[in-house]
Amino acid sequence: MATASPPNGGADANGATTPSAATTPSAADANGVFTVDGVPLKIKLRRAERWARLRAIGLIVPLFLFLMVSFVLPIFTMLWRSVENPEIGLVLPRTAARMQAWDGRGFPPNETLAVVVEEFVAAAGDRTIGKAAKRLNYHVAGYRSLTMKTARRLERAAKQQGMEALLAGPDLIERFKGIDARWGERRFWTILKQASPPHTAFYLLQSVDRDFDEDENVVKVGEHRAIHVDILGRTVFISVNVTILCLLLGYPIAYLLATLPTRQSNVLILLLLLPFWTSLLVRTTAWLVLLQNEGLVNDLAITVGFWDDPVQLVRNRLGVYVAMVHILLPFMVLPMFSVMKGIDPYHLRAAASLGANPLRAFLRVYLPQTIPGVGAGVLLVFILSLGYYITPALVGGPRDQMLSYFIAFHANTTVNWGMAAALSLVLMCCVAVFFAMYQRLVGVGNVKLG
Amino acid sequence: MAAPPYATPLQKSWYYALRVICGLIFFFLIAPIVVIIPLSFNSVPFFTYPMEGFSMRWYEEIFGDSPQSLLWQRSIVNSVVIAICSTALATVLGTMAALGLTRAEFPGKSLVMAVLISPIIVPIVVIAIGVFYFYAKIGLASTLTGIILAHTALGVPFVVITVAATLQGFDHNLVRAGAILGAGPLRVFRKVTLPIITPGVVSGALFAFAASWDEIVVVLFLASTEQHTVPRRMWSGIRELLSPTIIAAATLLVIVSIALMFTMEALRRRGERLRGISPG
Amino acid sequence: MTTSNDALVRFIDVQKTFDGETLVVRNLNLDVADGEFLTLLGPSGSGKTTTLLMLAGFETVTHGDILLAGKSLKSTPPHRRNIGMVFQNYALFPHMTVEENLAFPLESRQAGKAEIARKVGRALEMVQLTGFEKRRPGQLSGGQQQRVAVARALVYEPRLVLMDEPLGALDRQLRENMQYELKHIHESVGVTIVYVTHDQGEALTMSNRIAVFNDGAIQQLASPSALYEEPENAFVAQFIGENNRLTGVVKSVNGSECMVAIDGGGEVAAAAINIGGTGSRTTLSLRPESVRIDPPADGYPDRFEARIEEILYMGDHVRVRVDVCGHDDFIVKVPRSREAPALAVGQTRTIGWHPGDCRALDVA
Repeated sequence: MATASPPNGGADANGATTPSAATTPSAADANGVFTVDGVPLKIKLRRAERWARLRAIGLIVPLFLFLMVSFVLPIFTMLWRSVENPEIGLVLPRTAARMQAWDGRGFPPNETLAVVVEEFVAAAGDRTIGKAAKRLNYHVAGYRSLTMKTARRLERAAKQQGMEALLAGPDLIERFKGIDARWGERRFWTILKQASPPHTAFYLLQSVDRDFDEDENVVKVGEHRAIHVDILGRTVFISVNVTILCLLLGYPIAYLLATLPTRQSNVLILLLLLPFWTSLLVRTTAWLVLLQNEGLVNDLAITVGFWDDPVQLVRNRLGVYVAMVHILLPFMVLPMFSVMKGIDPYHLRAAASLGANPLRAFLRVYLPQTIPGVGAGVLLVFILSLGYYITPALVGGPRDQMLSYFIAFHANTTVNWGMAAALSLVLMCCVAVFFAMYQRLVGVGNVKLG
Repeated sequence: MAAPPYATPLQKSWYYALRVICGLIFFFLIAPIVVIIPLSFNSVPFFTYPMEGFSMRWYEEIFGDSPQSLLWQRSIVNSVVIAICSTALATVLGTMAALGLTRAEFPGKSLVMAVLISPIIVPIVVIAIGVFYFYAKIGLASTLTGIILAHTALGVPFVVITVAATLQGFDHNLVRAGAILGAGPLRVFRKVTLPIITPGVVSGALFAFAASWDEIVVVLFLASTEQHTVPRRMWSGIRELLSPTIIAAATLLVIVSIALMFTMEALRRRGERLRGISPG
Repeated sequence: MTTSNDALVRFIDVQKTFDGETLVVRNLNLDVADGEFLTLLGPSGSGKTTTLLMLAGFETVTHGDILLAGKSLKSTPPHRRNIGMVFQNYALFPHMTVEENLAFPLESRQAGKAEIARKVGRALEMVQLTGFEKRRPGQLSGGQQQRVAVARALVYEPRLVLMDEPLGALDRQLRENMQYELKHIHESVGVTIVYVTHDQGEALTMSNRIAVFNDGAIQQLASPSALYEEPENAFVAQFIGENNRLTGVVKSVNGSECMVAIDGGGEVAAAAINIGGTGSRTTLSLRPESVRIDPPADGYPDRFEARIEEILYMGDHVRVRVDVCGHDDFIVKVPRSREAPALAVGQTRTIGWHPGDCRALDVA
């Protein structure tokens, strides 16, 4: 077909062409495309693409590795601690092995008890018994003193009588009972058995107020120890309330910012960003100063005559709500604002022109369009509040502390890493669920700041 | 801007009610921060108005030469060193990663992205005890290096997010234009790509700086007295006896925050001007 | 005619595929002469932009080779090709002033300060933007940005400038002005331009030659007038200008003429351009302005009775839609003049054309 036509005047171009495509071009046959050297094109292309991709990945790898080593690995190592159970195995290795072999019925056999005696004496001698005692105390309060006392007595007896005499006799259990009557209760022995394996579900069960009984059934722990579910419930309850309060206060603000002329809204956004950029500790301190009994708010209220004596406004739930809402409000407003900014004001006018009254127009036309922003804001604030620690710790009372506080408490004060890790895992799971929702709603690549 | 003349009385009252409500909420947001600042100049250690008199004594407790002051000064130096080092690290690593993320699609990309931004999602206490537990084992607890590494991780997501957002709006034809005009890849990156994404990089760096500067929980676990930062010293002060010195330190932090915020705003507006969007 | 010695650019058996299965460009052979204004015209997805990007070096050539001034470009990265390019959205560097934008390619070539100042000044003068040196692209109108982009592509005096739909973002008035300006710049500078567009008007106005692309291949390469007046296949006839199509079967071929039995009835003489033998199907292509209503008896052997369906007043001409040979979308353009026949909807009139204007083409 198309043979070259001479150019029409103009340049001295007389380039020719021999377009060799068929008169009726058909799609290239699927597998028939080969390069000159016979390599199927697809493979050659994939090679080229892979190279570009490798270069891109090469840019990501440093950060990825950095985070893996400095961040992800530490957290997973710590979380793994929630199922690790090394103490008994380290301090009383043979006891741990023997106890695991014991079927848990009656009392442990005499040979096992002999091993227990030997290792208690040895551990008391090199002062490692405290570690095991502390571990056993997680199960029942008092187990620590029981262990320490027993180990000391056995050590003394071994010194006085010699180990052989100590181990003589068919009923070593009687010797234990002689030291403390509690050794006559089977559960103290099953606890020792349960604490022996290198891995345990104990901490995870504890984190939801469950425990093993003597027969290894999962049961609820006693009422005085059942605190973790309450704490989780309180954490969620406070977070929900904070989120609702933020939504109620944030929606009008976002609406106002989105509807004002840009020049005015820019100024107001600065007022919103100032608290956003101000240190959390500073803001918490500010509320502490304002709300304390001798603080500005009480002072003002008494002067004006709202109340006569200082009212407790801080180190209680009220203080927690005030400070947390203050800190989290910008996180609610900013996503809602960016969604509302994108809503065409003509929609409301169109609704009005169609005869809807303003309230109806707002509810049916405006509100539904703001739902993505509301959802993003609500999830963000909720996720952030779940992990709050500093603010409740400073402005809350003992009954207002959230899960994070107890995680820090276990890691810091009681140095019970198993419990700290198990509670961390619970908190992480809660956050992960809501973050997955957030990600579905907003998309992880679309997280916006400020 | 007033209510439109055709509004019904009900609409008008709503119009003004919205403004009054928002005014109160803004008051709630701003007042606590503004109100405490003058208290740092109070001549007596009370937190009420009217103030007894003006005094710089609380700032002297920070900048003077008593043993307490030296601890404050040390904490300021620590805060600055930690914030600058972690910001620099986070900015370089985060910018590279954002460049890579926007350049190629690969399987598991969203998972990688999730890992890269996880430091702002994982509750801070979990991060703090995890880092403490692990760093203690490898000898990084109670070292500035340990804190810097942890703060870098905390700052990285901000850099990745802001730079990736900037790159999303980046016109790839500019790179092509640079190349066809005779500039090699390096020159194109230096002269074209980098200047254009710089506002995004700087924003990310400011966020990372603020994240480190304000951070307290990780420091709480990871730092011994040697490495105390300003927030960490404030924390001790708040828990022991709330003195106006704390308010003075808080005021210093607020000033830094305001400086960061205005730098950010200036950058944003400059960016809009560059793109030809008239600033509102 | 296939002298390639003075071809600035040669595409030799070029193929391109993105996924390894479908060819975006199939076996392209094309010579661009030095100093020529060549337009690649086609619908989107026809391969014209890919061809341009391969020439610029932004897409790799899957198979075949491209020569620039006789040298293969295969291992030359874009920044060593010394080609100018104007992008669809101009791709001006937003953080640089107009002056800096223009200086950029010169600095990349290590030009001296004085030379840069001289060349930048001259280029701005050429696009009539003297005085805008310190502005940033964001402060310029679309038309001004377009001029800066052109100046930037020419300032380092490349022999070849590529333009990828450079006028696409401008409004109509501006676009037409810019067409003339580009044409004048081309003529005065003497640079070779390869221009990509989907706008046939633009292509016809500016080009020395036009390569019509469709489905990854050049359908026809010709001067604007040849393309319009002598389309060689149904696609080109349909794509360039307005076109009436009648389908039918070839009855007999006699040299350059043939007789075609039209599907709706009737037999016409037509120019045999691109047909198979007797009995094959063909598409007849007729420009609306070649058709006459009440044609004179002489020279119009092809005559039909047509019913007038619709009349549209267009100012300088009247468009008449008629029903002829079973096609009710046949358009006739009647120039507005005193002699124009009085027409009314519903009339049945005789229409006719010269056999030379009726081109028998392939079945598209």
